Amino acid sequence: MLLSAERALPDQPILFFGGKGGVGKTTLAATAALSFAARGQRTLLVSTDPAHSTGDILQADLGAEPRPVIADCWAMELDPEREADRYIDEVKTRVASAAPPRLLAEVERQIDIARVSPGAVEAALFERFTRILEEEGKEFNRIVFDTAPTGQTLRLLSLPELMTAWMTGMIQRRKKVRALARMWRNVAGSAKSDTERDDPILAALEERRARFLRARQILTASERAAFVFVVTPERLPIWETEKAVQTLSRHGIPVGAIIVNQVLPPPASGEGPTAFLDARREREARSLASISRDFGNWPVLCVHLQETDPVGIDALKELAARIRPAPAEWDDRMEEHR
Amino acid sequence: MRRWFRAAREIYEGMYIAPYRSAIHREYLRQHDLFLLVGFSDLLGVPNPVQFYTLELYPELLEAFHTWHLRMGLEHPPEGGFRCC
Repeated sequence: MLLSAERALPDQPILFFGGKGGVGKTTLAATAALSFAARGQRTLLVSTDPAHSTGDILQADLGAEPRPVIADCWAMELDPEREADRYIDEVKTRVASAAPPRLLAEVERQIDIARVSPGAVEAALFERFTRILEEEGKEFNRIVFDTAPTGQTLRLLSLPELMTAWMTGMIQRRKKVRALARMWRNVAGSAKSDTERDDPILAALEERRARFLRARQILTASERAAFVFVVTPERLPIWETEKAVQTLSRHGIPVGAIIVNQVLPPPASGEGPTAFLDARREREARSLASISRDFGNWPVLCVHLQETDPVGIDALKELAARIRPAPAEWDDRMEEHR
Repeated sequence: MRRWFRAAREIYEGMYIAPYRSAIHREYLRQHDLFLLVGFSDLLGVPNPVQFYTLELYPELLEAFHTWHLRMGLEHPPEGGFRCC
């Protein structure tokens, strides 16, 4: 029964699951990861959401490094604060080997100040994110990201564009200063200085910039990465997703699919008419119609509201079988409501 | 005679190379200050989105800051900034 999910989910090796809070993106990201693993693809599930429900949903103890969940499936939860500490430590180590001892204490003080200023956590998270992206095709065949609420994620995905431009500027400036210093020393006839040495700091910056550039290339390659939006058939999640889809296309990041979650199942044959459910279905039909109208350019998938909340690996595997292409009648309903 | 030649060469070098040398130095200082400005733009209220990705440049920036404040005739760095000396 895994067949339906296999056909339905996008093929790209790197998938981001996003959407408004509470629509079920963590559940569906975990479901997708388990279903890929069941096909024998080495899959990594990464949660970038600081709330970290991935471990709860898999009922597994997860950490900042990939841990095996089932065969061919690993999962990890990024802890932004920890990533920030780790990043700062790395920088300090690099600086300690290159900075003049006279300046070292002051440099470390400045770096500590930067650690607590706003943006440090985001920066460290992004640094780690670009490293994980590079794992695709090496350690793992597929990477599924369970992303933080929409705004934060969109920012994270648009960073590579901005960062590479700025870093290029900084690096070039520094090279220019060095080159001029060398020229001046040559004409002034002073002794050779350390500018002739290989520069570990410049190498580190170039490496980081190259990684950001590659992240940008991966994110915008429609055969490698795609965004999967999860929505529920309600107004606010739909509106938020509409805006998010526009932002992504502005940054050239492809959308792979829209999954409509928690759709009311059709009335069971023995079920008598209930005014409440009929009213809900009536409202839902309008939402579904607007989904198929607004997101018609992308594959729309459908998951019905389940009797119980899917928690645990077995329940999630069962859910995978229930991800299906959206039925065609959503459009018909739209006609009815015009 | 040899001494005369050497003197002539020094005069020639002074005339020919000195302006070139000072032009290079001026350009060096200009680029140097620009680098300082770009690296510490956030101190002037201009957001620097890559501050965290160029933290490794701090030693360099600090050194640049030190020579800058000396050149500006400030014996000690201005209050509230870096304690480079």
